[in-house]
Amino acid sequence: MRRKSKKTGRILFLLGVIVTALLVFFGNKAVVATSTDDYCASCHIHPHSTDSWKLSTHVDNKRGIRVRCVDCHLPPHGEGYLVEKAKTGARDVWAKWFRDPESFNWEAKSQIEHAKGHTFEASCIHCHQNNYPLGLTKEGRDAHLYYERQAGELHCINCHITVGHYDPDRLHAKNTDFGIIETASTDLYTEPGVMSGLNDFTEYIPGSAVSFEMIAIPGGSFQMGSPDDEPFRNKDEGPVKEVEVDPFFMAKIEVSWDEYLAFFKQTGAQGKSTDTYLNVDKAQVDAISGPTPPYGAPDQGWGKGKMPSMSMTHNAAEVYCQWLSEITGKSYRLPTEAEWEYAARGGSTGPYYFEGDPKRFVKQGVRNKLFGVDTAGINSYVTYMENSGARSLPPEAKIENPFGLLNMLGNVAEFCSDWYAEDAYAQYSDGVLKNPRGPAQGEEHVIRGGSYRDGADRVRSASRDYTRTDAWLKTDPQIPKSVWWYSDCFHVGFRVVCEYNETE
Amino acid sequence: MGSTNKSSRRRFLGNTAAIGAIGAIGASQLIKSCSTSPEASTGTVTEPTILPVAVDGKPLRAGVVGCGGRGSGAAIDFLNAGPDLSIVAIADVFQDRIDDIRGKLKEQKDVELPDANCFVGFDAYKRLLEVDLDIVILATPPFFRPEHFQACVEARKHVFMEKPVAVDPVGARAVMAASKQAEAAGLCVVTGTQRRHSWNYQNVLARINAGMMGDIVSTNVYWNQNKLWHREKQPDWTEMEFMIRDWVNWTWLSGDHIVEQHVHNIDVSNWFVGDHPVSAMGMGSRLRRPTGDCYDNFAVDFVYDKDIHMNSQCRQINDCANSVSEQIRGTKGYSDGEGTIWSPEGEVLYSWESPVDASGEKLQNSPYVQEHIDLVTAIREGKQIVEAEETAISVLTAIMGRESAYTGRKITWEEMMGSDMVLGPQGELAMGPVDIKAVIPIAGSAPE
Repeated sequence: MRRKSKKTGRILFLLGVIVTALLVFFGNKAVVATSTDDYCASCHIHPHSTDSWKLSTHVDNKRGIRVRCVDCHLPPHGEGYLVEKAKTGARDVWAKWFRDPESFNWEAKSQIEHAKGHTFEASCIHCHQNNYPLGLTKEGRDAHLYYERQAGELHCINCHITVGHYDPDRLHAKNTDFGIIETASTDLYTEPGVMSGLNDFTEYIPGSAVSFEMIAIPGGSFQMGSPDDEPFRNKDEGPVKEVEVDPFFMAKIEVSWDEYLAFFKQTGAQGKSTDTYLNVDKAQVDAISGPTPPYGAPDQGWGKGKMPSMSMTHNAAEVYCQWLSEITGKSYRLPTEAEWEYAARGGSTGPYYFEGDPKRFVKQGVRNKLFGVDTAGINSYVTYMENSGARSLPPEAKIENPFGLLNMLGNVAEFCSDWYAEDAYAQYSDGVLKNPRGPAQGEEHVIRGGSYRDGADRVRSASRDYTRTDAWLKTDPQIPKSVWWYSDCFHVGFRVVCEYNETE
Repeated sequence: MGSTNKSSRRRFLGNTAAIGAIGAIGASQLIKSCSTSPEASTGTVTEPTILPVAVDGKPLRAGVVGCGGRGSGAAIDFLNAGPDLSIVAIADVFQDRIDDIRGKLKEQKDVELPDANCFVGFDAYKRLLEVDLDIVILATPPFFRPEHFQACVEARKHVFMEKPVAVDPVGARAVMAASKQAEAAGLCVVTGTQRRHSWNYQNVLARINAGMMGDIVSTNVYWNQNKLWHREKQPDWTEMEFMIRDWVNWTWLSGDHIVEQHVHNIDVSNWFVGDHPVSAMGMGSRLRRPTGDCYDNFAVDFVYDKDIHMNSQCRQINDCANSVSEQIRGTKGYSDGEGTIWSPEGEVLYSWESPVDASGEKLQNSPYVQEHIDLVTAIREGKQIVEAEETAISVLTAIMGRESAYTGRKITWEEMMGSDMVLGPQGELAMGPVDIKAVIPIAGSAPE
């Protein structure tokens, strides 16, 4: 018996060795077979990514090297390759069988924030082992020095997003001629618009073919902030203050690319500004100085025209207003936070300027997760997370608020002139506030209205937010960083107000 | 170690069986990824190599850019470093400097240079780089260094260059990047940080690193000396010629004396601490300097991570207390860097003694020559050394101190790494008037 069991043991052991060897052998075969570009393309139902890959420098380059799907979209061998392959494989299989390919928003998935999740920096570095090849330009050397000092906060694709998938709108070379549009010189306005009493008027930008609507906002009083029981209320929205504002005009839509590029074309600096971001002296910025070419693609390739402009700095938005004032002979500026909320509410006192419960519009809670979000109330008014497709939309896609303003909530968030403080309302004195202007000083500015990226909880009339200057300039490798463009902020723009002087 | 490996291997096989086919996929990769990590060593001294002469090997040909006192000195030091070394080309902006170095080379080393390999002008370095040579010695005033160094790296030449390597943050960063390019291109670069090539400093540091005086808690560094040289403007000199001949007195050419001279001691502190300071708060002024726009005294408090302070002083004024030295203090003792380590009570824990040769004579270590011995040996043995980045970091440290003194502000390393400050005239250089604002900075504001 003992002998027999020993023999059985040996046979079992041998069998085990053979099975293991076969598994290892065929396992490796399977890894190789499921890592070819054709295999990837056989399931991945987004043919444009294959097309853009074929046009990219990772396929079409002087050295004749072809970089394959798995070279970037999986980590290097020995650094978690198999684990990640199993994970993405399982995800892909699930998506292939259980999800509707039409439901994917490929454009959103190609944005840097998402792309970082499925492009492995270790894989970039695995091939690109020398950040300082001979012949690299001075700008390139400076940019790589900067990158190396950011200790993991920047991914190679923060700058090199187009190397694997060609995107003509995001090419670095595109930036130097950013916003240069051929326009017929015959239709240029020579005179600005005329303001007559507190009535809506059309503003014409002299020297351009651009006009926009200004809505008269009658003065009045309102409750600024949100009551304690408003769903999703944040602490910085209170205490509620009684506020009075004087009449003013507010632009019907967020400043469009047409409007902003008129400024860019008339004032744009050819060379770089010598003002560094941190020590720029606002008093010395005259209305003549204008933005330098941006580092990335500020419009994200979503189109310009009437689309809301974005990614300009708060400083640039203020200089835009100075410039607009000078060429139209009026007093344009950014709205105060109080003016903004007064205009947004248009007499309404609830979370939005339309009927609806924020709790029904967000993808939170068991019911909404199971049965979907009921967006019927909000859909026609606001471009927000659940209906935007992760991008801004043309202004006229939505319905006006009670004052006749479009996109006060959602689409792009909007700069205000106030410094942000979490306790700004508590800092105010008791009683009725007349035209409050926020804290005397601060580090970041107020932004309002939420954007296409926000859920319904963040696009309420009382929601407050603020600029993140350092984070929004993280990618910009220029020294000094741009005073004009954020490199990492594509959801904030602004709206102008024009002062109304009753004696005129 | 062995048992650990065995158990992890057993665990691995067990897992494979349990997971089945998927687990077996790529099993060979998993086996490959097994590795051992070496035990960290503590307390042992890594003895620095004593190399009194460069190793023999392939002949090396050098060119000299900047043929003033330091350039001709460096040329002779290079020739004295070992066998089969030659100087084959020279470049300078002044003809008399060319004549001068040719005379010295002929007289001291019997080297004769053909006219065709002697270049004059601001672009002379470009023509020198077209000569067949292996090494370039850069010894011009530091203003020119970043551009010259970049050109040498692009031309794939090994480089010996004098400190400092830049006068402004843009230049310092350019050298950092070019240093990385040199590293990637397999080039060797030695900078004129003599103390790093001194056996006494190397041996003291080896013992500090082994823990002989505990962790470093502070450093003091000094370069207080008499007035340095200056030139009076001559009637037939243009402004540019005057400034370059009087260069140590002009900030755009020298970086001021905290950068030009005191960087030696600041570099020792960075080298021993193993880091660069994160901020500087300094002061300084100009009391007795006859020409130029530089200060003649600075005192700066530099702060490293963990709140380690470097107290730095430099002065170039006659008849004051002088000291060119360092003191490094640790939790269990202190050192002068140049030879001795003491206990906190003043008992000598270590004292450097130069080794002796076969006949009992003490070996001589001239750091000026040692720099070239180390460079030539590195090239010939294929053991790359690139010192430019570390030196650029020390230079930027000194610039940070200078800017703090000039402005009266506390300046951070981050500001320096993000600064667009460029000194000197912009555009093409030529003999003639110089378009710079020669204003001596005054910190702060006057009382109302």
